[in-house]
Amino acid sequence: MRKLLFGLVAWVSAVTAAHMALNVNWSVIMNDRLPLDKRKLNVAYIPVT
Amino acid sequence: MTDYISAYSQSGQLFVPRLFQGFPEIKEALMSNKMQAAFMVAPMAIALRAQGVPVKIVYLGHRYGSAVVVRKDGPVKTFADLRGRMVAIPSRFSDERLILFKAAHDNGMDARALHMVEMAPPDVAGALAAGAIDAFSMGEPFPSQAEMAGFGRVLFHARQYWPDYISCVLVVRQDVIEHRPEAVQMLVDGIARSGLWLEDGARRQAHRVHAADFVGRYYYRQNPALLRWALTKPIDRVMYEPLSPRRRDFELIVRLMRETGVLDHDISFEEYVDTRFAEGASGMTPWRYEAGSTSAK
Repeated sequence: MRKLLFGLVAWVSAVTAAHMALNVNWSVIMNDRLPLDKRKLNVAYIPVT
Repeated sequence: MTDYISAYSQSGQLFVPRLFQGFPEIKEALMSNKMQAAFMVAPMAIALRAQGVPVKIVYLGHRYGSAVVVRKDGPVKTFADLRGRMVAIPSRFSDERLILFKAAHDNGMDARALHMVEMAPPDVAGALAAGAIDAFSMGEPFPSQAEMAGFGRVLFHARQYWPDYISCVLVVRQDVIEHRPEAVQMLVDGIARSGLWLEDGARRQAHRVHAADFVGRYYYRQNPALLRWALTKPIDRVMYEPLSPRRRDFELIVRLMRETGVLDHDISFEEYVDTRFAEGASGMTPWRYEAGSTSAK
């Protein structure tokens, strides 16, 4: 039972870490936490000239 | 491109780029202050300002880079053949729509004889291949996509009917212009330097090939070969200089918007353009950056 639980926690941790590394845009999150006058501008674009 | 190169420079990342898939979503994000600046089609920016939305155009994204594409094996051989046919455009508020009116006028036709439909840019090449539309008027790389895949043929490039054609412009919220002009200037300077880098004399071709690679992979999420085609076949297919907003270019757009019924009153150049940042960037030099380098100056 403990082995199963350990495996489950390890799997969820690994998937969470991979998700946070691959899918989360940390520069956006960190930027949004800065005071307004220190934030970098968010600039929208679409993949067309 | 500016984001990628500037990340290697001493000043580091200048802004946070955010990918969208359509202009209406960009408009909403700008109005709700989720985005402080955006690249959007010039007529949409002018229409927003005319409706009282506090934004201003501060710079251009590029010049040229739009084309009308038809099926290679289809019945449309000349502009007149578009009569009664379905042509996709990115938005009612786009230069890609206005170019159709201009071309129609020059061919002695009424553009209302064309059946124009709005379509998200990424969908048009597939729609043309499937025969759902007869043509599209769109910015790069979608004309290149249809050409490269072998089913599309450029009927004409925008420059054929519209010298100094512009499409995408950089729009910034008025409150940001007022309270953080230095951040806007930094952004405009970076874009100016990127434009000069893409037009950098003998290094022009090499820089464009490299830009196609990193922009395709990390920003547009498109095949770099497609962007390579768009940026180099021919090399002046899209131009990145001069990018300062010029009065006569915008007054032409306003006139065409009025004539084609998407703007109900005149608006002066000063109301929707702020030229001070372009003037501030006029002494910029190209980025000093080459492929594989880990620093940019």
